[in-house]
Amino acid sequence: MKYSIVFIILMLGVTTQMSAQKSTMDHFSIQVDGLGCPFCAYGLEKKFKEFKGIKNTAIDMETGMFTFEYPSDKELSMEKVENQVTAAGYTPVSTKIERANGIIENSAAIAPSEINEGSIIKEEEIFVAGNCGMCKSRIEKAAKSLDGVSEASWNKKSKMLSLSFDSNAVSIEKIEEAIAQSGHDTKTAKAEDDIYDNLPACCLYDRE
Amino acid sequence: MVEEILLDDITPIGIAFSKDDGGLFWIADGDNNKVYRYSKDFRKKEIIGNFERPMHLDESEGKVYIPEYGSDEIKIYHQANITSLEIQDSLDAPASISIWKEEIGIADFYHHRILYFDGQEWISIGKKGKEDGEFHYPTDLQITSDKIYVADAYNHRVQVFNKDGKFLHTFGKKEKMNASTGIYVGDQQIFVTDFEHDRLLVYDTNGTIEQIIDTGLNKPTDALIVGQQLYVLNYKGKSICIFK
Repeated sequence: MKYSIVFIILMLGVTTQMSAQKSTMDHFSIQVDGLGCPFCAYGLEKKFKEFKGIKNTAIDMETGMFTFEYPSDKELSMEKVENQVTAAGYTPVSTKIERANGIIENSAAIAPSEINEGSIIKEEEIFVAGNCGMCKSRIEKAAKSLDGVSEASWNKKSKMLSLSFDSNAVSIEKIEEAIAQSGHDTKTAKAEDDIYDNLPACCLYDRE
Repeated sequence: MVEEILLDDITPIGIAFSKDDGGLFWIADGDNNKVYRYSKDFRKKEIIGNFERPMHLDESEGKVYIPEYGSDEIKIYHQANITSLEIQDSLDAPASISIWKEEIGIADFYHHRILYFDGQEWISIGKKGKEDGEFHYPTDLQITSDKIYVADAYNHRVQVFNKDGKFLHTFGKKEKMNASTGIYVGDQQIFVTDFEHDRLLVYDTNGTIEQIIDTGLNKPTDALIVGQQLYVLNYKGKSICIFK
């Protein structure tokens, strides 16, 4: 009996210690658009190795979910995480951080512009160079980030981007400029070479 | 005639074959960090170990050489033991290894180059760029008796070098491959997996296109000929297609 009580106390101690260890880590879940090419997806993981102390990284290629744990005392911010995803060439859709102290942080997804009274809605298709699912996410995000753009959908095969936008709020030229700044050429706006060169491997569309 | 064998939840990236025990296939599963050994008929499989993002592997004299994209090392599996290949240089995401006799070639993905050991010393071939002899993310390679063939993935082509590292010729641009993830050089033909287009490009030894195969392919990553059969890995399809 005496030994049983000692054993239980010891086990409780171990459990408490394990809980304490677990509670020192923040848990990050990032929904990433465009996972598909393993070479680039594993590159995302490699990019996060720059965060010293990162643990339990996992990528679910089917769902696009990238998860990891990081020491809570380092106070890794939402912004830093999303910037790192972007630096690896990916487009973060949403990010959730479960802090060790129980606080949960969620990122806000980009909401498409609402159609207001007086809006003049135009629908146009433009050519945008790109290769893959990662390109699609980046191109659509670049267009939707502009006020006045209510819809943007890029077709990987035809390379055409279908747009709905309020011509009172934004012009097609502005949309093309924003897309070029994300690294993708259109007929009238070219991405700068250094931006193009920094795209992930599978997004490097043929410019010749 | 094509037969497709589903590989359960395995996402295959690289394949090699050894003649031991009546014939064994070795398959690298990058997503799940594992390498599997299959019987020749694919009815039996065993996990030989956990690896950090294993890629295009190769086999020679009973040893399986496994490039680890995640750890920047080459692991060697031999008689249930795992060791590391000693290299007097650093790698950044080795995507492929090819062994031919004493020679070793490694596709050093993020360094945009090939490391080649001629049996005596290592040389570095190429640098980042689009010109002949330069690379944009090499993903696979094969050493033959007199040449080195490289799948230069994001230059959308194959490049061929001699064993001094001198550029000889290139092919594949016309087919607009996107991207050349795997290459196998046979006696009569060269096979290149075209990942995004779900197809296998078949060239003669001069680099002239002979055939395009797309039946049953879903994001193919590697190809191999054994006997009279062509084996193609489907990364997304999680399967292997056998063309007889």
